[in-house]
Amino acid sequence: MKRTLFAFSVYVVCLLLTFLQPAFGEYEYGFDLSEIEKEVEKKPYHIGGFLEFRPVLFGLDKDSAFYKIKFYDKDEGSTLEQYNSRLRLEGSYHKGIVGAFFRADSTLWYGYEGWDGDITLLEGFLALKPGPSFALEAGKRVAQWGKGYAFNTVNFVSRPKDPDDPTEPVEGYYLAIADWIKSFGGPLKTLAFTPVILPVTESINDKFGEPDHINFAAKLYGLLWDTDIDLLFFTGKSRTTRYGMDFARNITENLAIHGEFAWLPGFDKKSIDSQGRLYTQKSDIMKYLLGIRYLTTNNMTFILEYYHNGAGLDSNDADNFYSFVDRAYDKYLSTGNSSDLNKAAKLSQGSLSTFKPFRNYLYFRGSWSEPFDILYFTPAVFSIINLNDRSLSITPELMYNPITNLQLRLRGGLLIGGKNTEFGEKQNDYKVELRVRYFF
Amino acid sequence: MCLCLAVPAHSDDGDAILKKVDRNLNPEVFEMYRKLINLEPDGSKKEFIMFTIKKGRDRIASVFLSPASEKGRATLRLGENMWLYIPNVGKPIRITSLQSVTGGVFNNADIMRLDYSAEYNCEKMEQQEDLLVLHLKAKTRSVAYDSLKMWVDDKKLLPSKIECFASSGMLIKTLYFKKVKDFGDGIVRPAVIETDSPLHKGYKSIMIFAKMKKRDLPDEAFTLNFLSRVESLR
Repeated sequence: MKRTLFAFSVYVVCLLLTFLQPAFGEYEYGFDLSEIEKEVEKKPYHIGGFLEFRPVLFGLDKDSAFYKIKFYDKDEGSTLEQYNSRLRLEGSYHKGIVGAFFRADSTLWYGYEGWDGDITLLEGFLALKPGPSFALEAGKRVAQWGKGYAFNTVNFVSRPKDPDDPTEPVEGYYLAIADWIKSFGGPLKTLAFTPVILPVTESINDKFGEPDHINFAAKLYGLLWDTDIDLLFFTGKSRTTRYGMDFARNITENLAIHGEFAWLPGFDKKSIDSQGRLYTQKSDIMKYLLGIRYLTTNNMTFILEYYHNGAGLDSNDADNFYSFVDRAYDKYLSTGNSSDLNKAAKLSQGSLSTFKPFRNYLYFRGSWSEPFDILYFTPAVFSIINLNDRSLSITPELMYNPITNLQLRLRGGLLIGGKNTEFGEKQNDYKVELRVRYFF
Repeated sequence: MCLCLAVPAHSDDGDAILKKVDRNLNPEVFEMYRKLINLEPDGSKKEFIMFTIKKGRDRIASVFLSPASEKGRATLRLGENMWLYIPNVGKPIRITSLQSVTGGVFNNADIMRLDYSAEYNCEKMEQQEDLLVLHLKAKTRSVAYDSLKMWVDDKKLLPSKIECFASSGMLIKTLYFKKVKDFGDGIVRPAVIETDSPLHKGYKSIMIFAKMKKRDLPDEAFTLNFLSRVESLR
């Protein structure tokens, strides 16, 4: 029944496409510059966004740790479905050197727990732009730092992006950010300095770190010998002080390399003991990543990224956590007492809820742009491998923009791993997802 | 009948002609709007509109104004360095000249074209009736096309056709320059570039130029940090 409903959603979308297609066929190429000049007339405001429908089918792994934590007292069968819809609105207004911008998401979804929804302001800030050399912005804003594609180690003042969907925007923090830019001749072509002030209180940026502190961060960027180089730092009492550098460079017309390095002295590193307790230890932490992007002559792009997170959980932590969940589940089955499972759930919503919480990962993505002369069609596959426990996810993907402003994405995700491994202990064995977006 | 003159090997005259062609195609510093149209064999099409600024021989930045799905995407090229800024991602990423940010026959090197004389030397020049034929060779291996064959009107010194070749000698695409128009302020150039490719039979991409005009622009407008704000220069 569930799978029938999911398949029906996919069928309806395909049917709509079939009907829409002829309306966009048969074009006579004309040449009228005055028409184009009318089209490009500037308005001081802009409103846009997209409407999204995204049904997902999950294939559950009933033996996994996360299934036990979430569904120990429920029987949801072997599959779960979820129907998600989203309205993203973006708007801006500019008058002279002053401007304002916002981006907000309204989401509504239906899953095994019924209907739910949320409204999130992703960004909303005021900007002062007296000229190309200087800008000042204040409000809720994303300051996305770093060169990594799937991962980042130097994103000191932004939320981590999701490696499964790294091109999706994250929610910003409330901050003030300035940008000073200077161009030069010679090997150093550009120098830019970007200071940031980020306050944390009980009501503002409360998820960033310890409240009631004002934090400072800065980025110094240079384009030196055709290489992007950033030097970055963060200091303040909400999080420990940290230093970073990153770089990116085109080696040839079809090969680029990038890297990031972060040093976090005195970091409160979290670990899990055999009783499922979280404890912290101060230690000096190093995080780094190295990546390449390669384009073949037939338009295939390969991205490879190695990510080391010195603050991540290690194999002992993983073993301790999964063993604790197994014992908690056995206890529930024999006594009906779910207190340890609830404790595990809290733990999983903390340290284990961050994207890719373990120590060493390899990310691979291969995509083929417009194969067989199919315009705006990109098949791709990406994989995230936990190098410590050898578990992995494999996600094939078909992306197609059949008509202007309509984007379709069909994805399948397969999680592979044994007992006590990251991807083996996830709630799902596989998932299938269709995403339909209409931009306006 | 057709061949009157051939200047072999490295041609200083050819290089001088190429520089004049560059200046006739656009001023040193300018802004413009472009509409890109990708046409498919079944007649369906997709259009993009971009605002572009260019300074000197090797600095160019563009931002997409439409369609809605692409709005705000911006590209920057400084010599052989190219970046793409996607508003959702929130930071620029490096891209390569052979990729295409729009799909279709035009690639990034066509859309973010530098002065021809910045990337190519003229190896040979021929006269064919009222056309000069320039045989151009890439200065470095990082240029998108290894060689070009450019037909130039010998009086107006504007190109009428360019064939683009890979290092293997294979024809990758042909650009046709059409509809010469007076944009004002001494700018007289083709307002349309059509392209087709033997690699994509039946497909065609068209670039229409509008509102091209000279403009003073600071160097800082061509930097990575400014890329997300290029549209503010409109």
